[in-house]
Amino acid sequence: MSTTLASKETFERIAALILSRSTADDTLVGLSDSHSATLRFANNQVVQNVAARTPSLSVRVAIGKRVGRATTNQLGRASILSTLRRAEEIAGLAPDDPEFLPSLPPQEYDSAMRFVDATANARPGHIAQRVRPVVRACDERGLSGAGIMTNQSTVTGLAASSDLFAFDRSTSATFSLTATAPDSTGWVMTRHRDINGLRQGERTDSAVDKALRSKNPRRIEPGHYTVILEPSATAGLLGPLLWSLGAKSYHKGNSALAGKLGSAISDVRLTLKSDPSNPRLLGSRFNGDGMPQRPQTWVENGVLKTLHYDRFTALEHGVEANPGPDAVTMSIGGPTARGVQELIEQTERGILITNFWYIRYVNASDLTITGMTRDGTFLIEDGKVVCGLRNFRFHDSPLRAFQQVDAATQPMESVTLERGKMLLPAVKLPEFNLSSVTEF
Amino acid sequence: MEHTAETSRRQFIKTCGCGAAALYVGGCATTGSESTGIAHASAAGPIPKDNWAALAQSALARVQKGGCEYGDIRLIETRTQSVRALDRRISGVSDRVSAGYGIRALYKGAWGFAAGSEFTPDAIRAVAGDAVEIARASATLMKTPVLLAREPRHRRQVTTPFEIDPFSVPLADKCDLLLATCENLHHRDGIARSRGNLWAQRDVKHFASTEGSVIDFDLLATGGGFGATAVADGDFQSRSFTLPYLRCGYEQVNWADFTNQAERIAEQAVEKVHAKKPPPGKYDLVLDPAHLALTIHESCGHPTELDRVLGYEANYAGTSFLTPEKLGKFRYGSEHVTLMADNTQPRGLASTGFDDDGVACQRWPIVDRGILVGYSTNREVANQIDERRSRGSNRADSWSSVPIVRISNIGLEPGKATLDSLIEGVENGILIGGMGSFSIDQKRYNFQFGGDCFWEIKNGKRGAMLKDVIYQGITPEFWASCDGVADLAHRRQYGFINCGKGQPGQSGWMTHAASHARFRGVNVIDPRA
Repeated sequence: MSTTLASKETFERIAALILSRSTADDTLVGLSDSHSATLRFANNQVVQNVAARTPSLSVRVAIGKRVGRATTNQLGRASILSTLRRAEEIAGLAPDDPEFLPSLPPQEYDSAMRFVDATANARPGHIAQRVRPVVRACDERGLSGAGIMTNQSTVTGLAASSDLFAFDRSTSATFSLTATAPDSTGWVMTRHRDINGLRQGERTDSAVDKALRSKNPRRIEPGHYTVILEPSATAGLLGPLLWSLGAKSYHKGNSALAGKLGSAISDVRLTLKSDPSNPRLLGSRFNGDGMPQRPQTWVENGVLKTLHYDRFTALEHGVEANPGPDAVTMSIGGPTARGVQELIEQTERGILITNFWYIRYVNASDLTITGMTRDGTFLIEDGKVVCGLRNFRFHDSPLRAFQQVDAATQPMESVTLERGKMLLPAVKLPEFNLSSVTEF
Repeated sequence: MEHTAETSRRQFIKTCGCGAAALYVGGCATTGSESTGIAHASAAGPIPKDNWAALAQSALARVQKGGCEYGDIRLIETRTQSVRALDRRISGVSDRVSAGYGIRALYKGAWGFAAGSEFTPDAIRAVAGDAVEIARASATLMKTPVLLAREPRHRRQVTTPFEIDPFSVPLADKCDLLLATCENLHHRDGIARSRGNLWAQRDVKHFASTEGSVIDFDLLATGGGFGATAVADGDFQSRSFTLPYLRCGYEQVNWADFTNQAERIAEQAVEKVHAKKPPPGKYDLVLDPAHLALTIHESCGHPTELDRVLGYEANYAGTSFLTPEKLGKFRYGSEHVTLMADNTQPRGLASTGFDDDGVACQRWPIVDRGILVGYSTNREVANQIDERRSRGSNRADSWSSVPIVRISNIGLEPGKATLDSLIEGVENGILIGGMGSFSIDQKRYNFQFGGDCFWEIKNGKRGAMLKDVIYQGITPEFWASCDGVADLAHRRQYGFINCGKGQPGQSGWMTHAASHARFRGVNVIDPRA
């Protein structure tokens, strides 16, 4: 497999060539080089098996406040220089960008190791061997298995005429399975830097168990219910809150959080932090400007503490810029349940939700969102799961639903299709709005 | 609702003067016809293409040497330009060139795919070797080998017709247009934010297969739009103008007249932020073509992708309620509802002459007078429902992605009504224009849509603007409530370039055409209740 990515020396050489030839006032070079392989299975056999190396070199130049950007995937000398020329041409023709800021000076970055050789070096035959028992487990229980196993390695580099230089190498491996019975499904998804950390056997058992336990789903009327959200479902509800942290919208008035900095926005026990060097998460070393990622507290004991200030908005408001939330952890203070099972045992009547799907804004001004439950929705009665349920559409807002968290677990790993990886608790929420029901 | 779109259409018809037949050299071919002296697309872009045919054949030879029964390759150079304006400034100009190749190998009925971007014989053979190694690994986990539906051999060339090459238009003109548009939007009191964009992409592609097909493509697409957000009384509301993504040149930007349209859009954004919310309940809805494009896409397009129906997407995009035993029997909608897939439709994004299986583009019914009759397919899945030929809907979003089944250009066939006659027949209803919030379950059954603009309809007359309109429904019940479709004169098409599907994720391209249509007794909800 042609998996050799650009080395630090190669990137230094490319950056030196561009920076020495650039006639612009300010030049920023960005390289991303990635090799990704995915085995995809469905109906208990392979339906797709792909590998691609995708380099991308971008050059951003500024002549005064006129900015141009050009990108190529061809890393030969001629192509590199023609990309620089295209960026310069664009900057020469573009109007002034009043929000342009010159490249950052050199920065200090964390030294956390983000690259695992075992992930980068896994070959197709090796991946197929890992998937075989997953498919067999589905087959043996009369279920149809569909999912993926992905291994990816990425190199990222930034260099600027200001002497800014940043470089990082990282890997990630993903496993996901949807086990399907005639009228039910069970799902898991996990992602780690180390392919040996996926524990796909254990995860498979969990998806299979969910599919079997939710057979013959019962239809119950839509309405407001006590719900237990597993961490993946918590992720779905939390997402819009994370995306509303931008200071620009906050100050221009088109943010649901406008005017709420320093005020309570949720249950007083809720705290939302990000820490890109957390080894359980997949944070990056720097953002696209070369700004170091660093730990941030966004919400502390229910109070909105910090906004995500891009460099220009920060300058306008005389505050320090920061990168957005990367590698997020949400926690609920005070005593917590040992796990989802304990939350179930504490619940007289409620609904256990594995995951949400197709989450979209309905009203951006109060963060009302909608979406569907998916892949494991259960009725709880008298502290026990009694049966699977047909899936619901929900309408609610994190700003409303997180006002009162009745109980929670410690943060656990959550990886979802729409939200990436975070550490989040399973939470028990009263009065969650399950507004309609579907036919499966 | 977008009357410029109407102007555009007339202009198009007048200036192009061309029907489907004139559009593509090979666009309507249903049988392979040999032509000699194929001129390889060598015009645009920084990557030399003179050796592409030879590189392709050398990769295919490597695949065959690896014992594979089938292989194909796509060599592609893509150039994308985007100019963005935000709040009275040009916030980004980018110009991206990406060139590479993707190679598929089928070994004992198991797929392998590998992609690379170094255009040397050694590099391309190494990547072809990777594709074989991957296919052999897949073969260890197969129960039912893949069997490809037959397709004639094609040797053709396909070119998107255009009047003005978007890459030849001076950048300064594009920036001036967007800045003038933003300025006009902010001219109205109450507008807090503005945005605009112009976008163009050209794909030069060489397809070759071990079955002997060789097809060259030179494809172009353009799109764009602008919008404004008004802030008042603790609320904010946006209004957008969409220049549809279509296979045509920059001429559609000139016809759209952004700067003048900006005044109307800004006025409506302000009217919208001050508008009332309708009380929840049953309403008759009249939906415009831009809105219907999304409704058709989500509730008809996705559930009739045959790979989804067969479970291929169970772990990601989902499956479908339109299972094969329903074909030819299931009542999907009322007799007014005929949905045709048409990948030969002029300017449609999926009108590319051939798909990435090398299968000729076709026109076929998906829903015929309310009954489900067809699917979008590729050579792999067509066989699984005993269709003898693929519908030619297998597409990859770049050289580094593998082709998957994609929604075709599915459109609602015109009826005999007019927008006025549809509105006249409504006592208590809402006219909805443009696209807004959307969400649908993974079998495409329970859905919910918003829109970009809403007007109350009372006693057959259009009234004041409304805001925050959300309707929720069940796909076949909704389409069964359709009791009228406007005629051909009302028909418009809107394209998507961001249809998410597949793992790794890909962005699909297709276009949906429709005339205004009326739906009775639809459930308008209050999401905050």
